[in-house]
Parts: sequence; structure tokens; C-alpha cells
Amino acid sequence: MATDSTTDEVATWQVITGSARGAAHRVSGLPNQDAVASQDGSGGIVVAIADGHGHIRHFRSADGAALAVDVACRVASQAAAGLAADATGDEEAERAGQELARAVVADWRAAVADQLEVRPYTVEEQFILDRSADTPVVPYGSTLLVAVIAARWLVCAQIGDGDMLAVRPDGSSFSPVAGDDKLDGRRTTSLCQPDALASFRTGAHDLSQMPLAALLLATDGYGNAQADEPWQPSVGRDLAELAACHDRHWFGQEVPGWVRRCASSEGSGDDATIALLLPGDARDAEEGG
Amino acid sequence: MTSPDPRWLRVPVPGNAGTATEGAGMAQATPYPRMPGGGISRRPLHFIILADCSGGMKGEKIQALNFAIADMLPHLAAWERDQEQAQVFIRAIAFATEPRWHIPDPEPVAQLGWKPLQPVPKGLTNMGPAFALAAQALAPGRIERRALRPAMLLITDGLATDPPGGFEAGLSALMAQPAGKLALRLAIAIGRDAQSAALDRFIGDPGVPVLVADSSEDIADRLVAASLAVSRMSEAGADRGAVARRLLGAPGDLPPNIFDQDTIV
Repeated sequence: MATDSTTDEVATWQVITGSARGAAHRVSGLPNQDAVASQDGSGGIVVAIADGHGHIRHFRSADGAALAVDVACRVASQAAAGLAADATGDEEAERAGQELARAVVADWRAAVADQLEVRPYTVEEQFILDRSADTPVVPYGSTLLVAVIAARWLVCAQIGDGDMLAVRPDGSSFSPVAGDDKLDGRRTTSLCQPDALASFRTGAHDLSQMPLAALLLATDGYGNAQADEPWQPSVGRDLAELAACHDRHWFGQEVPGWVRRCASSEGSGDDATIALLLPGDARDAEEGG
Repeated sequence: MTSPDPRWLRVPVPGNAGTATEGAGMAQATPYPRMPGGGISRRPLHFIILADCSGGMKGEKIQALNFAIADMLPHLAAWERDQEQAQVFIRAIAFATEPRWHIPDPEPVAQLGWKPLQPVPKGLTNMGPAFALAAQALAPGRIERRALRPAMLLITDGLATDPPGGFEAGLSALMAQPAGKLALRLAIAIGRDAQSAALDRFIGDPGVPVLVADSSEDIADRLVAASLAVSRMSEAGADRGAVARRLLGAPGDLPPNIFDQDTIV
């Protein structure tokens, strides 16, 4: 788990993250193939989560996910600096999301190529690659969800499954990126696909017009554990209520337990990772509980 | 908050370290810390059995089929207990001239007692309407978004007797549903004569063979093999091609299409 915070002129946001290895992964010997990272940029905060695909074709997906969040944080920090420095309008913010996606795809592919230079596929890995007739980047397949909050802007980009949930103070919630009909719960779009950029969904939201009580990023191991269908309304309502009553220290204690339960054999059994962003005025001074 | 909101009190799950007190008698409930949402559960794995109840199934065959299904269910229940991801729900369609739901609502496999199928006197083997009926159950909104890829098992002792276009219409309706198209579809032919191109088309994957039960005694073995294939293929990170080769006797030089599924679009 990592806990971070940053401050800008508009609001302070904290990031609380948690990631747990799925029970099914533990049994089959797979590692936690999710990754999460956050970073304080100049004037903004950046958080990224990624879910490496579990299929045997994607035998280096844990590496792919780790590379994805590293690349995303680096690229998004640059975007945050731009958003904070400029008198950014709607169009510029939208473009920032699209540019973020473009840069992530390019840099992630470059990072994969760099890793293959120093760590080529073994004979066994090459056998799987050949049998699947896949390109060298496919074994690194991963989703990615990245959010930037800088000045008054929330800019998001997502490829693949998982969820972003923006929660208003009244408990209503929405996804800050558009849905994707290709995601049927059983297959996902991926950074490793040839047309990855076309599968990115981006969004920009003016937080001065629409304050948030919380922003949740979650891999599908979290959502697939939720009994409610759809689960987003009840989680959003509860998060708003919790954010009104508890400080970040409380969340910092609780979030790891949430993902552990979701990743357990009573939940999805899959790796589960969440990043929860909370505005700084959410009961910082109050003791949790 | 000074006292827990009752909504947040969840019944502890045995085996979840630190949250439950186990022992004989009444469980000592320890409330979970607050967690947003309506609680958690395993992902559903819907298994739909399409059983031939035509007139030709009367007698020994239907008895053997009922025995075999009843014998298969504990295997699925055991797998459900042993793995970490899925909760198996069973439904069944009995088909002859017309299909009907034998088990209409998804029943948890661990709680299901098999109610014997009965053959329909002089009933035909019309498969298309059975596929269409299953398609309705797999429509968006009827199956959870978080459900694992469903499984379908077609068991028949004869060739399809659908009127012209009937088989194709039913299969098209099934394939028109995303969950139907993605479903693991297996078929068991009772007797060599029942092994037909129609069953191959239902399976839709040249890498997955029709399982043939040469005699009534073989039905149970084939059903167990099919249930094992469904369960193993549903596990995280499964190499479905290897499972198909090992359990279904799929040819090694013809990788099943299912190898490509559950990964990327």
C-alpha cells in the first residue's frame, strides 16, 4: 500500500491505494499481476493502476502492468504541469487526455522493447509466443487506468476493463470516461493490441463546476467481487458517506482490507487493486472511527 | 462515527483470517470494518444443460442420463469448493419436439438435487428451439456482467429433426447473444449415430470434439469429462487448448479457438 498527498492552489488531494493478490492466482502460482503507482507532479497529482492479463499468452503481464503505471505516472505528471500552468479550457483539457493516451501507448511500447533488449524471451516463453502466433508485445498485455488532478481539472484515460468512479458529495456517481461495448466482462481491450490508442477512452472534467467527494480507480478484481449489479451506485453512495465521516488515515487503514476481501475466495478470486483519491478537506483533522 | 451503521455488519466468512470466530455451535459474529457497497460474492459460472428427452431416449437411456447428471453434479460442486473464483449455477432445458425449462432458475450446484428427466412419447429431437430458449437466458441483463463465460452441454442420442431452417434459426439466436457466442459449448452424443455435423456446428470449434458415449454406461464418464473440462477451462490463466487435449481428446495439431478467448478483444 502507498499513501501520498499533494497540494495545489485549488485543493489538496490524497491518494490511498491497495492491491491484493487474487486467491486464484495464489493457488495457480501466478503473482499479483496488478500494479499501482501515484506521483506528486508540479501542481497536480497523478495515479495509475493496471491489470496484467491472466491468460498464459500474457506471461509477462505483471511486468507489462508495472511498466504501464510507471510510464503513465511519468507522462501524466507532464500533463499535470501543463494543466496547472496554463489557463486551460475545456478543449485543452480534452486534448490533454487524448495526448496522454497517445504518449502512454508510445512510451509503454518503447519500455517493453527496452525490457526485451535486456531480458529476451526464454526458449519456453518463445514457444508460447510462437504457438499463439503473437507479436512480441502481447505477453506484456495489460489494462491501464490513469487519472490526473491538476488545478481545476480531472483528466482521465483508460484502456481495458476496470472502473473509474467519480463520486459527488451527494453520493451520486458517474464514470469520468465513456463506456466501451467491447468489454463484455470476459474479454478486454489492452495496451498490447495493435490499435491500442483507438481503444483508449479519455475524459476531462472541471472540478470547480462539479466538486467530487472521491474518485475511485479499480481493476476488475474489485468490481467482479461486488454482489450488487450494478455495483457503482451503492459503492458511490457509501464512499460519499464514508468520506464525510472519516479522514485519510482511516481510509489508509481500511482500503487494504477492502482489496484483500475482494481478492479472496469469497470475492472475485482475482487480483484486486484500487486507488482512492480524496479531496484534502475530507475531515483531515478528525480522528478516524 | 461512534457506533457502526447496521448496514456495514457483514456475516463473517469462515477462513477469512481475523474476521471470524469458528467453532461448534453458534458462530461468534465479528462485524467487518466498513466497506462500501452491497457486499461481495464469487463470480457466477452459469452451466446450462440441454438434454434430449425425445421419444428415443425412453427406457435405459434416460435412466442412464439421469444417473449420469446426478453423478456429475457432485464433481462440479467439489470443484466449486476447491477453486477460488467461481460459484456454479445450474439450469437445464429438456427438449424434444418443443423445449421446456427443466430447471428454469439458476440453482447453486451445491444445493441442487437432480429431478429426473422424463422422455416425451414420440417426441422429436428439435434442437433449434432449445438453443433459442437458452439464448433468452443469456441475453444482456439476464446474466450478470461479472459472470464468467457460461458453459453449455448438449446431450442427445439422435440427429436433429428440426424443420428446414429451424436448427439454424435457433443457433443464430444463441450466437447473437454475446454470452451465447462466448459460451463454452460441449456436446455428448449417445451412440455413434448421434455424432453429427449439427453437433459440431453447435460446438463451433473444430478443436473441440463431440464426446461420444458408445453405451449407456459411458454417459456418466463423458459427463464427468465434460464437467471437468468446463471447470478447468474456467480457471484463471487456464491453457484451454491443453485442457481440451487432455480431457476431451482434442487433436494436438488443431488448437481450439477457445485458446484465444478470455484474453484481449
